[in-house]
Amino acid sequence: MREWLKSRTGFEAIWKALFERAIPEAKGPVAWLYVLGSASLFVFIVQFTTGCLLAMSYAPTPDHAYDSVRFISDQVLAGRLVRGLHHWGATFMVVLVALHFSRVYFMGAYKFPREATWITGVCLLLLVLGFSFTGYLLPWDQKAYWATAVGTNIAAQAPVIGPSVAAVLKGGEEMGAATLTRFYAFHVLVLPALTALLIACHLFLVIWHGITEPPAREEDGAGDRRL
Amino acid sequence: MNDAHDDGLIRKAIGVLGALIMAVLGSAGLGFLLSPLVQKRDEGWVDVGPADAFKPGTPVQIQFVERTRDSWSVTEKRSSAWVLALDNGQITVFDPRCPHLGCPFRWNILDKRFQCPCHTAAFAADGAVISGPSPRALDRFESKIEDNRLLILPRPTQGHS
Repeated sequence: MREWLKSRTGFEAIWKALFERAIPEAKGPVAWLYVLGSASLFVFIVQFTTGCLLAMSYAPTPDHAYDSVRFISDQVLAGRLVRGLHHWGATFMVVLVALHFSRVYFMGAYKFPREATWITGVCLLLLVLGFSFTGYLLPWDQKAYWATAVGTNIAAQAPVIGPSVAAVLKGGEEMGAATLTRFYAFHVLVLPALTALLIACHLFLVIWHGITEPPAREEDGAGDRRL
Repeated sequence: MNDAHDDGLIRKAIGVLGALIMAVLGSAGLGFLLSPLVQKRDEGWVDVGPADAFKPGTPVQIQFVERTRDSWSVTEKRSSAWVLALDNGQITVFDPRCPHLGCPFRWNILDKRFQCPCHTAAFAADGAVISGPSPRALDRFESKIEDNRLLILPRPTQGHS
């Protein structure tokens, strides 16, 4: 069976490239910094799965959004758990990608030849923030509504184009039904498509270039410990 | 440190933890997906007030709000019914529409019978046909008393002809 799959699909090469590739030998606490990217990917998969499930029982209209979210929490089997996973996963995702971003920045891992990996990564970070902004509105409770009111008003503060940007975000002059469907479409269609595409690029580049060694201190005479 | 041994242990640990995580996530997801199979249906009993508020012998018309639940969307409809309490505490609830062609009948106090204004159908207090074009006795709503509250199920069951 294994042999047959190997000869027909070449999965072994893919498996080797993904999971058996050479990675820097880091020991101690520093080694933990290297899990942040994989952890982000894992949380993304959890968000994707729970998001698909939640979308099955969610109605993005002002009449029904709040009630359908309550329906998920109170009536659907494991609904509270799935919603909870999506809720906390969203928060955790932002924390993870921020840490991942910091690790790469402070280790200088964005430098040659990994600039493209860095750029796709920064775009992914922005997409994650887009997910949190659009997802926050969807429960359509007081907190969601006013947080989005504040967010879109901040956009409106920008000079010259601000009011137009806010109107495009809100789908009109006032927040309402159009805002909710807009945010929903971005949250479940536009952003996931872009994110999946960029994750593919990012992962390809990570594997293509390999992962950077932890930075070592340059010997500079004063702290020279060479024998 | 024996690296090969260490490696195998870590692989095993990852496998076990991964399987555990997948089991939790998978069963939650499967439960969510299959929840229509186990969701309890709302039968639609309506609480219309204390059961001992009805004076035995004289039918009274009650007004109530019927809530129909479709997943998260709830529609409300104003409905009514005729309630007849008997001396022994038994309660009969009638569909307020005449079985002939659906007109709302009323209680005639003088003649002590239900009368339909449309085609003069007449019924006794227990719903039996007295005269007129009705093909059968008054339709009833199922009812029950729990903790002295009268509950009715506002879907007609056919009266005896």
